[in-house]
Amino acid sequence: MTLHFTPVWFIAVPLLLAFLSPLWVRLRLLMPILLGAHVALFALALSWIPTVRVAPLLETIVIAPPLGIHLHLDAVSLLLVALFNLAGALVASFIWLSNRESHPFNAAQDRLFDSAQDRLRGRPAFILILLLIAGSSGMVLTGDLFNLYVFLEIAGVSAYALTALRRDKSALEAGLKYLIIGSVAAIFFLFAIVLLYLQTGQLNMAALARDFAGIPAPMQALIGLLMLIGLGIKAELFPFNFWVPDIYRGSDPEITALFSGVLVKAFLFVLFHLVFLLLADPTVARTWLMALGATTMLVAEAVALRQQDLRRMLAYSSLGQVGLITLALGFASEATTAGALFHMVNHTLIKLLLFLLTALMLRRFLSVRLANLQGLGRAMPLAAGLFVLGALAVLGLPPLSGFASKLWILKGFAEARVFWPIALILLAALLEAGYYFRWIKVFYAPEPPVTAGQPEGDWAYAPLLLIAGLLILLGVAPFLLEDWFVQAAKALLGRGAILESVLGVQP
Amino acid sequence: MNLIVKLLFLALSLTPAMTLLTWDGGVAWPLFGGITLLFDLNPVSGFFLLLLALGAPLVALPMLRLRSARVLDETRDEPATYALYALLLLGMQLLLLSGDFIGFFVGWEIMTWSSYLLLLRSPRTNLEGAQSYILFNLASAFLLLGGILVYYSLTGEFTIRAVAGLDTLQTLSLVTLFGLAFLIKVGTLPLHLWVPRSYDQAPDVFSAFLSALMSKMGIYALILLLTLFPEGLAGLFGQFLKGPAAGYVLAWIGVITSIVATFKAISQEDMKRLLAYSSIAQVGYIVTAIGVGSSLAIGGALFHSLVHTLVKLLLFIAIAGIVLQTGHRRFIDLGQLIGRMPISFFGVLIGIIGLAGMPPLPGFASKYLIYVSLLEAHWLLLLAAMILSSTAAFVYCYKLIYGPFLGHANSPEARVATEAPWQYLVPQIVLMGLLVALGIFPGWAIEILIDPVLTALGMTPIGAPAWGQLATAYGGYDGVVLMSVFATVFVLVTAIFFLLRGRMRQAGSPYDLSYAGEVPTAETPLHYGAGMGRELRRIPLVGWILNHSTQGFYAGLVRQIQAAAGLLSGLYSGNPQTWILLAVLIFAATLTLQSVTGA
Amino acid sequence: MLEFLDSPRVLHGIYLLGSLMLFFIGLYGLLAKRHLLKIFVSIEIMELAVYLILIALATSPGETAPILSDGLLTFTGMADPIPQALTLTAIVIGVAVTALGTSMAIQYHRLTGHVGVDAMTELKD
Repeated sequence: MTLHFTPVWFIAVPLLLAFLSPLWVRLRLLMPILLGAHVALFALALSWIPTVRVAPLLETIVIAPPLGIHLHLDAVSLLLVALFNLAGALVASFIWLSNRESHPFNAAQDRLFDSAQDRLRGRPAFILILLLIAGSSGMVLTGDLFNLYVFLEIAGVSAYALTALRRDKSALEAGLKYLIIGSVAAIFFLFAIVLLYLQTGQLNMAALARDFAGIPAPMQALIGLLMLIGLGIKAELFPFNFWVPDIYRGSDPEITALFSGVLVKAFLFVLFHLVFLLLADPTVARTWLMALGATTMLVAEAVALRQQDLRRMLAYSSLGQVGLITLALGFASEATTAGALFHMVNHTLIKLLLFLLTALMLRRFLSVRLANLQGLGRAMPLAAGLFVLGALAVLGLPPLSGFASKLWILKGFAEARVFWPIALILLAALLEAGYYFRWIKVFYAPEPPVTAGQPEGDWAYAPLLLIAGLLILLGVAPFLLEDWFVQAAKALLGRGAILESVLGVQP
Repeated sequence: MNLIVKLLFLALSLTPAMTLLTWDGGVAWPLFGGITLLFDLNPVSGFFLLLLALGAPLVALPMLRLRSARVLDETRDEPATYALYALLLLGMQLLLLSGDFIGFFVGWEIMTWSSYLLLLRSPRTNLEGAQSYILFNLASAFLLLGGILVYYSLTGEFTIRAVAGLDTLQTLSLVTLFGLAFLIKVGTLPLHLWVPRSYDQAPDVFSAFLSALMSKMGIYALILLLTLFPEGLAGLFGQFLKGPAAGYVLAWIGVITSIVATFKAISQEDMKRLLAYSSIAQVGYIVTAIGVGSSLAIGGALFHSLVHTLVKLLLFIAIAGIVLQTGHRRFIDLGQLIGRMPISFFGVLIGIIGLAGMPPLPGFASKYLIYVSLLEAHWLLLLAAMILSSTAAFVYCYKLIYGPFLGHANSPEARVATEAPWQYLVPQIVLMGLLVALGIFPGWAIEILIDPVLTALGMTPIGAPAWGQLATAYGGYDGVVLMSVFATVFVLVTAIFFLLRGRMRQAGSPYDLSYAGEVPTAETPLHYGAGMGRELRRIPLVGWILNHSTQGFYAGLVRQIQAAAGLLSGLYSGNPQTWILLAVLIFAATLTLQSVTGA
Repeated sequence: MLEFLDSPRVLHGIYLLGSLMLFFIGLYGLLAKRHLLKIFVSIEIMELAVYLILIALATSPGETAPILSDGLLTFTGMADPIPQALTLTAIVIGVAVTALGTSMAIQYHRLTGHVGVDAMTELKD
């Protein structure tokens, strides 16, 4: 019997595992399986690169589209799914390895995770991470608008639960706030779906793309605006992203790493996927989206200057990068899109690194406020060094990968002879340097550090070093993935190709 | 183990020299999307690589002894320092060798951040110093990147080569972006804020590297900028008198920088700050020379770069030795070290002679070339201003030799200090030898080092009748003769001094100044250099210069940005209902707007 | 007398009006009430309004349920089944979210004694 690999696996395997694992008794075997699921799916995604390069893969469920539902695996969704599973594997392995009791060479593992500190390392966290990855992968893969809503809610619910996982005051507060704002976003999005269905009678995205032009213009604007607000809240764009710093501050940094690295990327993809699909001419929305992106970037970078808590600072920095990606995707030229996709990958890796480092610092110093982290470089030299590496990468300084992706974006703008985004991106990078280097200076301050918590085992650094290695590798040799990004950009922008592959007709 | 690390580090510091000697053929590294990094050696980069090859090991040697034995401090972070230094050298080599702008930018940035991390290694670095260093340098880098992208949009490629057929706006935007980027790096007014702070706060030996070598990368970049335009500066915006009009502006920037920095240097109380301002002033001369743009001027600029590199390495390493041995940096805490640190004394003596541009050392030759080029261009006002500044430079040079070495020893440490360790002395002796040799053979430097660069830049070589001679249309001199005369006079004067020394001690009569009041003893705190420069404030223009600084402007800028950030962060409230209200209001407003405009 | 109600336009208009009123009532509660449970109720009302719009506007008067049985062998005159399927799914999701929210609110109340959003200031710097 041969196993038949299909894109459904990306959603079905984690969902199945997540629902089965509460029944599993022995934790000792379960953790490696849950962790291994991400790794296996990542490997599966990589094995698909040659196939997808030839033609996008359509996985029909029961009836052929546009009547039935289907999954659409092309270069760009494959890229994101691979990225999400990599991120899931890295975070899960970090949580697993940084738990000193469940050290890979330490036997005492089957203990109950009861204290608030350890709740993160217990079973629920791993299950919820699986659900989050499944939901995000589903959002990226689905070719159907209502399934998109379902996956959005799956990812959302697991995100709310993950936020409140620590169950102390600040975690619960963050979880409740996230749940309220997230539900409102979902209602806006659902409203847009309902209106679309009532207008066209279609839920398949390709069919909608074909019929969208037939909707009266005021209705088009209303639907677009509802979607923009719904997805804007979720994707953290400027006038709708006020919730981000609170949520990032309240949840565990390990979890925040996933929000910033996976969830936002999925929503950004959904937003731009819909924009490029529904609008036959993406330049209609170009000014709007670029303005949104630029404002998000500049406002976030400016506000970050004053932050005293590392988690809040990283939250604003994350917003700034989201703004940059939006600015680049909104321009919708092939070079900026490829660069933006590359930057998405980089930003996921960088923010994973920085937030996981924050987790280590939090455990060692019991606080991540600027004033309390003085002299961190002496207590945790490796962590400080990796933080510097991450900061350099996020600023886009060579020879790290952030440089290559930013250069790609900037080159795209320069080719089109549009110079204002270049100026704004460089200004934002300068502002960003203003606060990142303030933190670095404090880390290397000559004062002796005041550590109160436990030092971490060295194993916790293994995933971080892997990320650092990837950042350097992609910075020195970005040509390794160049082809993939170009294909992905073509797939994201190639409205005609999607319509043709799904509906079998030329638009 | 430790020894192996140190030997490895010294070997790494020799990499620029090895690159220079063994380079054959270009290297290409594809990045993505048709961007290929090209590395190759040409005469221009070869000249600056030579400076790096000379300087890198000479700075590396004293870095082995960064802390004195008196200070007990853990030394486990030293491998990190060595690694960063190696990275810095790598970045600078990439910068110099690269034949395309992306490689240039990569090298430029690696240089920036690795030097910043080295700067943080000093316990004296404060937040303002570190932030101004990195932000000014990144601003420079981002302006450079902006310029590169404009260049790319005009030519469609990143290779560094002359572009023809630009209109005025395109030329102006290229010149502004690149020019600002490079002027920040060389530290001309009013973009120099980061220079004195960082040179002052950096680890003492590393200041030598910053001043002597990293500022030269800005000079290299400025010369590279000229090669972008087919006829150099002359082809840009026409002529002024007998030189290029665009260069006239640049030359004035350089001269004003050097005048202001010279007066600032005179009024400094701290040895390293004085040297920092003096670096700004010296680089100002080089910028002026580049502004003139004739072959004589560029030759002078290159020669002065060479001399300034040697002189500043010598002075900063000598001063670092003094700081290492005494723990003091201010003039009024030092004194009378001439007997205790004789080699350092000679180091500083040779250094200030070179710095002041006095014969017989090569500082004279390089300045002479620049003067002559100014004469040729008929820019006499600039010439006068430059002579004013280099004359005033004598004052701070004097302060530099008098303060630490002569007079009373004003602190306990200065009374017991011993000569600096050999790691500090060997570079000083090498540098002194190089300076004297260049003084004897200025023609050699011109023929062997500078003329190939000028030829590569498409200019007429200066040439020299003999290795010992410097010749221009306005006359020249023979280095061998000059050096012999000076050496003879020096020997004679020293001999007379030692012969008459015994008698001088007996001098003294009731009319002697020291009998007018208290007689100072060896313990009396007394320093001739104290307050020097205070009186300068009473001179109208100089006083204005000394009382004003760009610090207030930049501090105000930072405050404004912080205030704006504060206003914006008010938007990020913690109440979910406010978030939703804002979203709904924006929704309603946009919808209304759309229905009104009908879009 | 009430025949005009059978016209789909009028009926759909009434449904739309009612649903939108519900939606705005929910929005008002969401923005004006401080109690966490009231906020969840408001969110539910808003969701409900959206479901109602979907169900109401996708069906015209006179259409029957989309079930094939003894007499009915063709799909003529039947309501579109998709909106109902969607609504059922959405209700399930909505319930899950509300349940999670309520449980978190209860825990928050146990921990702090507060139930109001305005008391949530732990995360402020």
